[in-house]
Amino acid sequence: MTAGPSRVPTLPDSAYSRMTLVLRGGLFLALGIMVAALVWYLLVFPSATLADAIATNPILNYLGATGLAHGLADGAPAAYLTLGLLALVATPILRVASGFYYFRLGHERAMEGITFAVLVMLFFGLLVLGPLIR
Amino acid sequence: MDLDLLVGLLILLAITAGLVGALSGLGGGVVVIPALVILFGVPIPVAIGTGAITILATSTTTGAAYVRDRLSDLRIGMFLEIATVPGALLGATATVFLTHASLADTLLIALGLVLIATIPGSLARRNEELPSRVQPDARSRALGLSGEYQDQALGRPVSYTAARTTPALGVMFGAGLVSGMFGIGGGVFKVLALEKYLRLPMKVATATSNFMIGVTAAAGAGILFAAGFVNPLFAAPVALGTAIGAYGGSQILPSLRNRTVRLIFLPVVAILAVEMILRGFGLP
Repeated sequence: MTAGPSRVPTLPDSAYSRMTLVLRGGLFLALGIMVAALVWYLLVFPSATLADAIATNPILNYLGATGLAHGLADGAPAAYLTLGLLALVATPILRVASGFYYFRLGHERAMEGITFAVLVMLFFGLLVLGPLIR
Repeated sequence: MDLDLLVGLLILLAITAGLVGALSGLGGGVVVIPALVILFGVPIPVAIGTGAITILATSTTTGAAYVRDRLSDLRIGMFLEIATVPGALLGATATVFLTHASLADTLLIALGLVLIATIPGSLARRNEELPSRVQPDARSRALGLSGEYQDQALGRPVSYTAARTTPALGVMFGAGLVSGMFGIGGGVFKVLALEKYLRLPMKVATATSNFMIGVTAAAGAGILFAAGFVNPLFAAPVALGTAIGAYGGSQILPSLRNRTVRLIFLPVVAILAVEMILRGFGLP
């Protein structure tokens, strides 16, 4: 085992604790919404079957922001399931954003640029590439 | 089959996937995707979308624990995401266009063969508890790609430094591509790159892979979402079960020895390789 470089930039302890908080908070929020919506879905559709689930993907009604907002306002359980899944997708993106913040705080230009580029690519995929393919 | 029974079975299946994913660094899609297709008759694109959600749940759950314990290396993970994210975007886009194309099958077979080819190298290192004589390259030194963690099994702090970053970035791009394209396999290449090229201790490799796969999966999931490949009736119970299993795995990993983690990882790689080849030939 070799020793590391003599002088290396280090992240502050708060970066680790804040990132743990972001991941844990996002997970609990996403799972909380999904569990409640799943129970709700089973209560609203008690006779639903595996074949129904395969034949009709309820997410297709809530892919756009407008459709999702209407679904949430109407109290559609599938819209809330979609919201929970979106919260799960958003959690690692928030984690990258918090990494960017700490690298910027530490004036680590190279790592700051890398995390910023990752964020740009993630948003490009979500907001441009995904809708374009749809 | 009634939906409530399906939900229960999916949660049980996903607990296993989360446990395997957390201990191996693979994310759990390797368990969920074939099970959904073979046991429940779920179409492959939806199974791939669900696999991405499995990976997200594993990464988020284990990430919280491994970051807290300093087993995941934030700096190395974030540095390598510059290669995995474009790979995942390209892979997920390709999946949407090539779902039924023979090219995807050929690629699966090739990847399976590549995985099998990596097994002898990993086997040769099976008794290696910690890598030795590691020389950091210029990029590793400039970015400070080194760290230290408290090894519970060895009862002492272990320091490490990243070695060959250029080949690792290349493998990571491939890992992102596979992850975005098939919902499985991303983690296996990440762990191999982290261990073989960067020469990180196996537990750090596994934990950092788990930390990274969430971002790779998020990149692919956006596209799979938009394409309608994610069905919440499968994805939600799988996410819940995976989180439970992954939490269990994250509690076990720190106390294991590095060689034990490698012994868990290798058979999963072999199974994954065979599975890829079989799927490439159109077999379930």
